[in-house]
Amino acid sequence: MQLRPILIFLSRKLVRLALLLLAVAVMTFVLLSLSPIDPVQAYIGADMLQISPEQRELIAQRWGLDQPMLGRFGDWLGQLVQGNWGTSMVFNQPVAQVINQRFQVSLQLLAIAWLISGLLGLGLGVLAGAFEGTWIDRGIRLYAYTLASSPTFWVALLLLIFFSVSLRVTPICCAAPPGVLSQNVTFWQHLHHLLLPAITLSIIGVANIALHTRQKLIEVLSSDYVLFARAQGETLGGILKHHGLRNILLPALTLQFASLSELFGGSVLVEQVFAYPGLGEATVQAALRSDVPLLVGIVFFSALFVYSGNTLADLAYQVIDPRIRLGGRGAA
Amino acid sequence: MVSTLKVSIWSAGVLLAGQLLAGCASDSSDSTASAPSQGGSAEQIVLAIGGESSEGYDPTLGWGRYGSPLFQSTLLRRDQDLNIVNDLATGYTVSDDRRTWTVTIRQDAQFSDGEPLTAADVAYTFNKAAESGGLTDVTALEEAVATDDYTVELRLKQPQSAFVNRLITLGIVPQHAHGPDYARNPVGSGPYQMVQWDEGQQLIVEANPNYYGEAPGIQRLVFLFTEEDAAFAAARAGQAQVVSVPQSLAVQSLSGMKLYDVASVDNRGLMFPYPPPTGQTTPDGRPIGNPVTSDLAIRQAVNYAVDRQALVEGVLEGYGSPAYGPVSGLAWEEPRANIEDAQPEQARQILAEGGWSDTNGDGIVEKAGQRAEFTLLYPASDSTRQALALSVAEMLRPVGIQINVEGKSWDEITPRVHSDAVLFGWGSHDQSEMYNLYHSKAAQGAFYNAGYYANEAIDRTLDLAMGAPSEAEAIAFWQAAQWDGEQGFTAKGDAAWAWLVNLNHTYFVSECLDIGQPQVEPHGHGWPITANIAEWTWTCS
Repeated sequence: MQLRPILIFLSRKLVRLALLLLAVAVMTFVLLSLSPIDPVQAYIGADMLQISPEQRELIAQRWGLDQPMLGRFGDWLGQLVQGNWGTSMVFNQPVAQVINQRFQVSLQLLAIAWLISGLLGLGLGVLAGAFEGTWIDRGIRLYAYTLASSPTFWVALLLLIFFSVSLRVTPICCAAPPGVLSQNVTFWQHLHHLLLPAITLSIIGVANIALHTRQKLIEVLSSDYVLFARAQGETLGGILKHHGLRNILLPALTLQFASLSELFGGSVLVEQVFAYPGLGEATVQAALRSDVPLLVGIVFFSALFVYSGNTLADLAYQVIDPRIRLGGRGAA
Repeated sequence: MVSTLKVSIWSAGVLLAGQLLAGCASDSSDSTASAPSQGGSAEQIVLAIGGESSEGYDPTLGWGRYGSPLFQSTLLRRDQDLNIVNDLATGYTVSDDRRTWTVTIRQDAQFSDGEPLTAADVAYTFNKAAESGGLTDVTALEEAVATDDYTVELRLKQPQSAFVNRLITLGIVPQHAHGPDYARNPVGSGPYQMVQWDEGQQLIVEANPNYYGEAPGIQRLVFLFTEEDAAFAAARAGQAQVVSVPQSLAVQSLSGMKLYDVASVDNRGLMFPYPPPTGQTTPDGRPIGNPVTSDLAIRQAVNYAVDRQALVEGVLEGYGSPAYGPVSGLAWEEPRANIEDAQPEQARQILAEGGWSDTNGDGIVEKAGQRAEFTLLYPASDSTRQALALSVAEMLRPVGIQINVEGKSWDEITPRVHSDAVLFGWGSHDQSEMYNLYHSKAAQGAFYNAGYYANEAIDRTLDLAMGAPSEAEAIAFWQAAQWDGEQGFTAKGDAAWAWLVNLNHTYFVSECLDIGQPQVEPHGHGWPITANIAEWTWTCS
């Protein structure tokens, strides 16, 4: 593999990413300046009658809200160049710190959900495709269609009520047992609390991947080369192993990396239901209270996250499929 | 008021599914497979009462503004009857010009890091709070000066009797340990100290060994920050010992838990735009005035026709009380201002005497070509206010007044608050709220006196109250502003608002936990029930 094509590929990706982030920042600022939410009012909330106009002025000054949006954008951009993402109004903390803390919590959730949904989705898709038309296929499709059309938070609530309130086998909330100091939380307690949110998130991700894999496998199985292999006496297992999996792995991988954005969106809802203090929960707070620096920070971060996901998929292509050469076809 | 947006679908979902599954749940409830000793004890209880301060726990930025900062202690505090008693202070005097408050403080107070608490810390706290753009308003303060180790002078810009509420609510921070990180690592002289805060999740606190008061009865408190529905689920699963629930859930029963139904001044009322529309606008160009609600007869008729007890029973499930003014149950309430309501006959008579009659036979009265019809706005996300608004409209129709009810978001309501009636909710232990609701000078185009109510005599009375040397001496004036036998802003007088109900705050509390006698609580946010938390005790072994 030559070095030059990869460098070109990466630098193009980086330029695109920079442009994307700039566009995202401008859009977020413009949208928020058009939003009817007054950040000072949102900050004061219920205490309106005990905050005098003088105090209101102090609050606006403290957060720079007495400046016009354009000035604030300029200030923010200037800070960003120096590596400072600004200060969150909601958490009264540097934005980078908030995102860092919150994402560490979300990451485990996302990682587990991503792995489960990928493996399970692939497995179910292969099973359904290999036994097309049988009761196995119909069962898997019913499951996939039902979940694909269920709202995430609703599934989360049902699972919470069933497993936590009725059966009492899973915890009711949070990332650790209430009242236990963080240094005393065992690995198993940790996993126990992660389980239900991660399962919720993954069983919804499964549907998409399973259906696409199934479709692709059916295509492969009805191709000429499979017919030829069958004619030579290859078993179903052998066909799947030698022809099926190789051909469906590529689209499955694309889907798997593309599903990062869906997972990210789903985690916002799931974290709310399970009081799981990750980035999703912070996003909701930032939006409801017009916390511009935090919201821009999170949007930035999620754009980076999804973008890297897609880039990884692109890079993985050439590892799996020798026919794809970066140098030959240019980027992506 | 605005801060919590609830996703009511969730509530509905939990309720519905909860009831569906309740049957299978009740049998298996003794299988304590996973709940690791969450029963509560004198060592530790779990509270799910919401109210996380996401900004942190710095009093100079507004933490503890409802009067129980937990980690810090305050100069004064209110006891269960809301009388003002000393806490850190050993006494205070107000100068003759009423602008200098001299406070002496106890000499045995220590911060949880072992450093002594001196007058310099008090002065620092007040000066810092006055210049911070946070949620506590100390802008009345000119400067605070420590005159010796245990005496501090608070010098005000002008006399303000309600300033005593800052002495009651502002937790004292240590000058030596206060900085940008303080909000996440509070050090104070309060009954508890912070052990761990998992943001968005839980707060663990333990009794402060250096606390000068009596040691708290519960060694360790865990505050869970879950949604209301999940909090209720936690109580059902036996994982929390104190849970605040909405009234709609309070009708259920939980085994091992008692319902506490705590009176509050958390009120709901109907604000009328007071002047007629004359083209006058606010500084932002928003219209002021309403042709119908500017008529005294209309405002009084609404006040007399509404059946407040029926609202309490029908909308609040009985968990509330009728409200006739903004300060029900507090020492500065004027009981003579209460009226006998649910009197449609009397309302009709008031309308007739005011010149309103139904000339075209459509059931709605008119006067000089103006139909008795006005719009009532309420925040659409709040189902209680929606039910109140619809019920009031229903009650007024037979009297001949048509109220058009519209649910909007606060961002849509705000520009219209000066020209349309709005269903508001307030309620505080701080009298400046009443001042800001009714003083004509407070009307500046925001939520202060949104209806532009103006009565010079009432202004004078309110000013006398604010300028009085102490809360006790101000009370007579606060009462007179409500109704002095001849005039006032309540129903018998100008009827500037039609107050409807006070909510009761509802909590499920473990039968093993004695939480004493709760205060009349202010408007819900924050942790009103924790006001006396140091006195709570665990009664089971």
